[in-house]
Amino acid sequence: MSSSEDPTSVGRRRFLNLTVGGSAAAVVVIGGYPVVKYLEPSAQQGTSGPTRVGAVTEFPPDSAQVVLAGEHPVVIVHKADRIRAFSARCTHLQCIVAYSAEHQQIECQCHGGSFALDGRVLGGPPVRPLTELSVSIEEGFLLVSVPG
Amino acid sequence: MTTEPKDAPRSSWLADRLGWDRLRSSLDRHAVPRHSFFFYIGGLTLFALLLQVASGILLMMYYRPDAAAAHASVERIAREIPYGGLVRGVHVWAADLFVAMLLLHAFIVMVRRSFKSPQELGWLSGVLLMLIGIGQAFTGAVLPWSERAYTNARVGSQLAGYTPMVGDWFRRFLRGGEELSTDTLSRAYAFHVALLPAAMTVVVAGHFYFISRKPVVALEESNTKTIPFYPDFLIRQGVAFVGILVLVLTLAIFADRSIGTVADPRLATPADAQPPWYMLALHYVVRTAPRELLGVEGPRFLGGAVTALGVLFAALPFVDRRGSRITVWLSWVGLFALLLLSFRALH
Repeated sequence: MSSSEDPTSVGRRRFLNLTVGGSAAAVVVIGGYPVVKYLEPSAQQGTSGPTRVGAVTEFPPDSAQVVLAGEHPVVIVHKADRIRAFSARCTHLQCIVAYSAEHQQIECQCHGGSFALDGRVLGGPPVRPLTELSVSIEEGFLLVSVPG
Repeated sequence: MTTEPKDAPRSSWLADRLGWDRLRSSLDRHAVPRHSFFFYIGGLTLFALLLQVASGILLMMYYRPDAAAAHASVERIAREIPYGGLVRGVHVWAADLFVAMLLLHAFIVMVRRSFKSPQELGWLSGVLLMLIGIGQAFTGAVLPWSERAYTNARVGSQLAGYTPMVGDWFRRFLRGGEELSTDTLSRAYAFHVALLPAAMTVVVAGHFYFISRKPVVALEESNTKTIPFYPDFLIRQGVAFVGILVLVLTLAIFADRSIGTVADPRLATPADAQPPWYMLALHYVVRTAPRELLGVEGPRFLGGAVTALGVLFAALPFVDRRGSRITVWLSWVGLFALLLLSFRALH
């Protein structure tokens, strides 16, 4: 009786195939997991706590400007003796917004969105308001906290 | 010990080691339509890819994938390195040509219904090549870290973020974080010069294997006069390669592609920011879409619609197994819609 007709032999071959295939799959999973985690940025990535964005005197009353808090562009609005900070990312497609002194509003030139100085949507394609960020003043410097 | 008959044809030492006779007889069995320009597009796409590989390797010698140095290094290549402008021009124009050929190749396969059974794997590998090719173009466009590159990276990754279910993860994965940074640039570089080319090499090999292993039914049904693949078709293809090379060199020398100003994340995105030409139609749809569609935020709805269309496109040989006329008509309608939307985006 040839080995190809031997049911025990077929069983052994199947067992070997399963063992090799299973081992290969295990190697891929065990080796792949750290690679995926290495490439996957943390959802919490952001500035670690409040970031100094400049001296308070750099943000005069009745003005607004875009500065960087770490890698994040933020709009600092100084109106009615109050300093507020918003993410400068338009909530439509994340283009960077700018302050328009002429229209007294924050505008996204990219797709025509506009926001009030308190972050509300005034017009254009955006649906959600600008994300407000917490600000604090320490030793004459303005600090902005950007969540991840 | 075996001995060859005295009258057996002598093949050279190298031909024997290469198995040339078997390869030659395999090539002799292949034929392509005599006057069909369509059959040159696949080879020309590959040639445009090879031009990018060659010029890309040269660019790697001087390019620096760091947000603080990338733009200056591209400026240096273009202005100071001997023939740097030519090498960069060849790379940029060949990339555009490659994407155009890729899209044209897909369109021709659709209208000729060459995707139908048994070419399912040929089609699927082709769709995968399109995705990798667009990924190559997208990551390459980020590398100069100019104002335009920065805007395209920002908007492009945000659009990818509207993919259903995996969008947020995908956006962070592309950016290397929540915000664009030097990590975005080095990630785009690693994908552009290593991961995507490696994937493309494997998929191109698979694509050739799949399309040569099973017959293209549409070709067999066409009853047109054919010529041998080797040497007739390959010689004509070679002439077409020379034509493309001359075209790319001419464009690289006489049609300068501006690098633009260096990216500054504090500057507002300009109103005239334009995406790459192959994204103009999508750009126009996103720009003009209503704020909400069926209670869903406009871009999120479009992200879902584009994903669904993409899945349907990839599954074409399984949806339309016999290659119906409807697919041909839809291909033409799709082409005109894309051209019209792109034109509107520019004006």
